[in-house]
Amino acid sequence: MISAFIFRALKGHIVVTVAVILAFAVLVPASNLLLAPDHALHIPTYVMSLMGKYLCYALLALALDLVWGYCGILSLGHGAFFALGGYAMGMYLMRQIGSRGVYGNADLPDFMVFLNWKELPWFWYGFDMFPFAMLMVLFVPGLLAFVFGWFAFRSRVNGVYLSIITQAMTYALMLAFFRNDMGFGGNNGLTDYKEIVGFSVQGGGTRAVLFAMSALMLALCLLIASAIVNSKFGKVLVGVRDAESRVRFLGFRVENIKLFTFVVSAMFAGIAGALFVPQVGIINPGEFAPANSIEVVVWTAVGGRGTLIGPIIGAVLVNAGKSYFTGAFPELWLFALGGLFIAVTLFLPKGIVGTIQSGFTGRKAMRAAADAEKGRGDVTAVAQAAE
Amino acid sequence: MLIRFITLIFLILASAAPSFAQAPDPKPLFNQLADADFNAAEKLVGQIATTGDTRVVPALNAFAEGDLYFRKSDKAVFAAKPAGAQLELIDPVTGESAGQVAKGAVTKIRINNNLRRAIRAALGGLTLMSPDRGTRLSAADAILRSPSAEALDLVEAALAKETDATVKARMEEARAVSLLSSDRSIDDKRAAIATIGKLGGRDALGILNAVSSSIDASLKPDLDAAITAIQNEQQLWDMAQNVWYGLSLGSVLLLAAIGLAITFGVMGIINMAHGEMVMLGAYSTFVVQQVIRENAPGLFDWSLTIALPVAFLVTGAVGLVIERGVIRFLYGRPLETLLATWGISLILQQSIRTIFGPTNQEVGNPSWMSGSFPVGGMTITWNRMWIVVFSLSIFVGLLLLMKRSAFGLQMRAVTQNRRMASSMGIKTPWVDAFTFALGSGIAGIAGVALSQIDNVSPNLGQSYIIDSFMVVVFGGVGNLWGTLVGALSLGILNKFLEPSVGAVLGKILVLVLIILFIQKRPRGLFALKGRAIEA
Amino acid sequence: MTFKSKLGGALLAAAMSATALSGAFAADDTIKIGVLHSLSGTMAISETTLKDAMLMLVEEQNKKGGVLGKKLEAVVVDPASDWPLFAEKARQLISQDKVAAVFGCWTSSSRKSVLPVFEELNSILFYPVQYEGEESSRNIFYTGAAPNQQAIPAVDYLAATEGVERWVLAGTDYVYPQTTNKILKAYLMSKGVKEEDIMINYTPFGHSDWQTIVSDIKKFGSAGKKTAVVSTINGDANVPFYKELGNQGIKAEDIPVVAFSVGEEELAGLDTKPLVGHLAAWNYFQSVDAPVNAEFIKSWHAYTKNDNRVTNDPMEAAYIGFNAWVKAVEAAGTTETDKVLDSIIGVSVPNLSGGTSTVMPNHHITKPVLIGEIQADGQFDIVQETAAVVGDEWSDYLPDSKDLISDWRKPMECGNFNVATGKCGGKGS
Repeated sequence: MISAFIFRALKGHIVVTVAVILAFAVLVPASNLLLAPDHALHIPTYVMSLMGKYLCYALLALALDLVWGYCGILSLGHGAFFALGGYAMGMYLMRQIGSRGVYGNADLPDFMVFLNWKELPWFWYGFDMFPFAMLMVLFVPGLLAFVFGWFAFRSRVNGVYLSIITQAMTYALMLAFFRNDMGFGGNNGLTDYKEIVGFSVQGGGTRAVLFAMSALMLALCLLIASAIVNSKFGKVLVGVRDAESRVRFLGFRVENIKLFTFVVSAMFAGIAGALFVPQVGIINPGEFAPANSIEVVVWTAVGGRGTLIGPIIGAVLVNAGKSYFTGAFPELWLFALGGLFIAVTLFLPKGIVGTIQSGFTGRKAMRAAADAEKGRGDVTAVAQAAE
Repeated sequence: MLIRFITLIFLILASAAPSFAQAPDPKPLFNQLADADFNAAEKLVGQIATTGDTRVVPALNAFAEGDLYFRKSDKAVFAAKPAGAQLELIDPVTGESAGQVAKGAVTKIRINNNLRRAIRAALGGLTLMSPDRGTRLSAADAILRSPSAEALDLVEAALAKETDATVKARMEEARAVSLLSSDRSIDDKRAAIATIGKLGGRDALGILNAVSSSIDASLKPDLDAAITAIQNEQQLWDMAQNVWYGLSLGSVLLLAAIGLAITFGVMGIINMAHGEMVMLGAYSTFVVQQVIRENAPGLFDWSLTIALPVAFLVTGAVGLVIERGVIRFLYGRPLETLLATWGISLILQQSIRTIFGPTNQEVGNPSWMSGSFPVGGMTITWNRMWIVVFSLSIFVGLLLLMKRSAFGLQMRAVTQNRRMASSMGIKTPWVDAFTFALGSGIAGIAGVALSQIDNVSPNLGQSYIIDSFMVVVFGGVGNLWGTLVGALSLGILNKFLEPSVGAVLGKILVLVLIILFIQKRPRGLFALKGRAIEA
Repeated sequence: MTFKSKLGGALLAAAMSATALSGAFAADDTIKIGVLHSLSGTMAISETTLKDAMLMLVEEQNKKGGVLGKKLEAVVVDPASDWPLFAEKARQLISQDKVAAVFGCWTSSSRKSVLPVFEELNSILFYPVQYEGEESSRNIFYTGAAPNQQAIPAVDYLAATEGVERWVLAGTDYVYPQTTNKILKAYLMSKGVKEEDIMINYTPFGHSDWQTIVSDIKKFGSAGKKTAVVSTINGDANVPFYKELGNQGIKAEDIPVVAFSVGEEELAGLDTKPLVGHLAAWNYFQSVDAPVNAEFIKSWHAYTKNDNRVTNDPMEAAYIGFNAWVKAVEAAGTTETDKVLDSIIGVSVPNLSGGTSTVMPNHHITKPVLIGEIQADGQFDIVQETAAVVGDEWSDYLPDSKDLISDWRKPMECGNFNVATGKCGGKGS
């Protein structure tokens, strides 16, 4: 049964994408570590960690696509799950600093020392253990999504209302994490990490492994997401998106379906956050900013929602563009980004991948129809292609 | 300005009076200011005041304003006022002009807060006997605010001559506060405590508290009783004050949200560029004020009145362009309007940043928007007061427009059933366009008001956008009354949470409460009924 | 399958564009320096000015013939007020553009974000803004004020001159105000101020409704003792705060407010007439009467082509940092990080208040503390100026840092040497 589940995930284009991602996971670190710096194909560490960051964003966009593209829940608060995953990882990394902090206090992170904290708050317990921290990376965003979704979906809050309260959620979390009394380092956040599972976070090998891990997790999550949306459950999911009431009348528990998807998506976002933090070296409340979550929506829309691959491409393209513009034409960046949003919504409502796909299937349908007219094709092909 | 004018008249009258002729000449005292440090200057001001020569009042006023200079060549001290590129020197005692000099030829005499206090007290003493009622009143006020035993004789002398009831009462209070720090008899002081106790308010509390450590033990019970009485009264007023703060915050939220109640609430566009419309309104105010400052400074008090239509037209026009250029292609796809308008908001922000620069721009308060007035034991600031009035009148105006005008009828018809409206001959595209323009225009005039209390910077809109959405969603989309009730109740809730949990936690709690509330009532406080909204 | 190969191609192209964006065409006759200030987002309001100041300094240096006979070239990037992006851009500047030094950052968060990058890639950052202290990195020079170069002298002034006995410590809820207020509270209590005479209040970023807090301050001030407000309120929130103060009639003569984050630039958005007499403590004011300052203002106006542009304290800090770097590079004869780090300690350069500032072994600098009163024209009237003070990175008033010192000269080369245990590395438990 499980194999059938996985097998269903292996649609053609998903396989190709996964293969490409896996190739990246091997080739990029290999090129970074093995080739000489002046070699034409050498990828500098800087570019590799940049690409690692894009992959984390891609995973975040994928998570959003699962709820938005397939379940119709436009979450304007996915940045919160991302940030929570990041904080869980950040707390682990902070505890790994041990007595190498500037005050040399083995028990307390630096920011607690200089704000006169006497002992570690209870919610920091256990974060010195890697497995526990990794569990929290999944558990904390998942729990928040569960509690939030349990209330919201049961009360049938949907559409715009849901979007706005997810935004309120991430905004409230941002304000809360900005408070120094919360014990998460206030606006400075958590930073100056030293090592992860015994390896220096700045070592070239560690960076390569982190990059490979990001790519692997992206591929894995893509497979899981693909398996979900291509299962029977996935069909119901799309039903919920397109006609929620009808699905409910057919006897499905819509709120449970939504809740499951929302929690899985939040966990994906948490994983993305956890991989993001060691690569960029800081997590702070700015990640909760509502604007960040909206940007994720934009990546997804640009790439094409409801396509799984689209958001990945959208996230990579927009962020590569951002890196380029903020370096080359700093003043023009917001114009370019703003223009992109408008252009995509007006001219590419299905996003890049969606448009290519529909063009592709459209041509296929036309060809099939032409074939049918000639009396050579079969009718089912037309129906399938037009679907 | 007015006070200076009055004192000038007074000066002319006073210099005619022969009784001042014998007083020691304050002129050398003024000239010593050139070399004095802050402490010495403070003493000199006291000495100038004790000459009792009221001719020095304008010069002391000039000193308080930082307009007192000494000539570099001979260290003679003058008051000065700008005359073109030069300064016109005015003799500090006689008030006669001493010719014009270049700015470089004189040095400003520096002043700090202690000196300002000393000057204020000196001026209070000197103008107590002024023939002008307003001057006497402000003199009594000055003594009330900086009580000293030295002022006591002056106050009593003035009190003996005073005929005006209001001024007399104020002087009685001034006498009481000065008496407390003097060495008068216990009984006098007991009476003084009673007078101050009746005065009430924060200042009285401050005065009583200040003497509580030094006062004679036998007076302690009186003093404590007076303090407790004021505190009890003040507690009641604090409640009222809190309600007022809540209303005032609520009216700001209402202002920020009311345009959105149209574009989002009525039209269903998730208008992320709403905040930028508010910002454009604020920048329109800035531009109007710039033009007025350069061309007709006399009209400055009218600047906001002029800015209102300007802002409405500017933002309305921008709104019209946005609707025709982008949004009309997106009807029926509300979540995509979110993306497009977010893009528009980024472009507008960056355009303003490119044109005006990223820094704050100065938008001045006209005189009728500055200062405050007391209501019982609380203070109400004029700008907050006008903003409450202004936002309520916008609300009423909008309500009338929606419910009583032909345009409002068409607007409602189109949003309720587009096809039916269209078949009745309504040009739905233009109704859409003008509805959006109306919403944007109202956001613009909200920006005029908000420019009075907040930063005018490219980030202005960002700070209001989330709050605005919360208000509209909390109140119920598509219902103006909901927006009103939502804004005011969130404002008051916020202000009642703030004193107990602090501003930061208060804001978080309000957000959490909104999230919980939406679970209970998924369509807000005033939900529209019917099936149309299910779409 | 054309579609699928297009997808792969797109992914690849995205990756390649990331590689290509570096655009570093290093010519050998120039020395590159990085300018890392936000040009968009919430911090653009403060940081854009510093970017302009840096470009002006580079241009002037080039007019004088550059450094080591080479022209300077400023590489400007925009970290967009996004802290992780600061780290990314820092990495780009150092490893792609190969800059010799970076001038940048404003908030502590951005500095904390780039600190590991500078230490890892061994480059130099000059940080020009006042901050909370409690840090000393081998690769960072702190040319803004440490708390002892701003907060403590200001409190001393108020206590001595205005006889203040009751203190409101009001700040935005983030690390700089929290730390500064902790230090100030410890300091005030060591001077005999009672706990009930100190009120601490925090507000969120960008707070705009100050009615309650201002009236709380009034209430606190009516206890009969002279009261003052020490404000660590962050940039944007100041304008509505001061407007509310002015409107509620709190005059400087009654309750003076001394601010550490309000300079000429912030006042430019305000009508300052109701604020005359409120104070600020900085190491530089535009109104400083010194020939070198007049010169600087003149060239700033010429550079920005706007005679109304004001100068402020972080600009002076950038000026000092830049000139110290130039001098150190010329002394070392190279821009190599390690050599410059050696040669810069002890370098003295003129500051804009007419004296000189020296780079100390703890990577902080000496500068005088100026207390200014706000004037009706938006400038400050300097009412007190101290002798040059050495920036103290580890505060003497916090229990965990009072034993720490920092000295980056050989042989100590330590940022957190514990004088009690005689070991490098903090407490060394």
